Amino acid sequence: MSDPIKVGDKLPESVIGPFDAPSLERYAEVSGDANPLHLDDAVAAAIGLAAPPVHGMKLLAAFEPMLRAWRGDLVIASIAGKFVQPILRGETVRLSGRVLRATENEIFVRLVAYGAARAPGIVGEATLRPGPAT
Amino acid sequence: MPSDPPLALGPFRLRVDPARAAAYARETGGDGASVPLAYPAIWLAEPSLFSVVRDLCAQRDVVPVHESQSFSYDAPLVAGESYDLSVTMSSEETPPRLTMVGTVATPQGEPCARIETILRLVPRAGFGSAS
Repeated sequence: MSDPIKVGDKLPESVIGPFDAPSLERYAEVSGDANPLHLDDAVAAAIGLAAPPVHGMKLLAAFEPMLRAWRGDLVIASIAGKFVQPILRGETVRLSGRVLRATENEIFVRLVAYGAARAPGIVGEATLRPGPAT
Repeated sequence: MPSDPPLALGPFRLRVDPARAAAYARETGGDGASVPLAYPAIWLAEPSLFSVVRDLCAQRDVVPVHESQSFSYDAPLVAGESYDLSVTMSSEETPPRLTMVGTVATPQGEPCARIETILRLVPRAGFGSAS
């Protein structure tokens, strides 16, 4: 039986990346998001970025494996994120999570992704529920 | 403040391609054992849907920047199965944004998921050829 989840519990941090240009090209191809901002250094430079930003969706989606690794017995009912500031190609990314609410039927987790900057790149949330009895 | 009446798009009959779902999982750190929660993001980039966004941005001379995204599930998507995606698109002037709310249902009408995409509309100046 899994340990009870308490408000304030921290999820094990997940470190991903750094993502290189081929990695961003592969994501663009599989996702269909071909925005050149993520792939072209000149486009990124035109808006003052030192390198193309990693697709926000690539990073938001990476919270799912982290949540499953934390508590595979729970079902992820929702996941959401606000893309606060770009995380750039070549930066190591830290994904963290903390339980903000916990009831018998629902766990609400704050999610945060950090790149090289002090401020978060993504601030998100997830709702998890007990899985079907097996 | 809303600037235009919401635009209803679809439903679009779309399939969870197993190979693409596995590739998407791979590129986002998953093991491919299930369809990634974020998989419907692929559908939002489908030309039949995204062309509406592209045309609107071209008219306004703006570039869409992904501001936020959410996925909420009633039932998981299954690889190989088809679903109906209906989207309501609305825009705001202040700040300039486009909000797309999608509902995913089985062909029998059973709801599966709700997705919301908010795009900030940024003046093209400074974005080079980004689209």
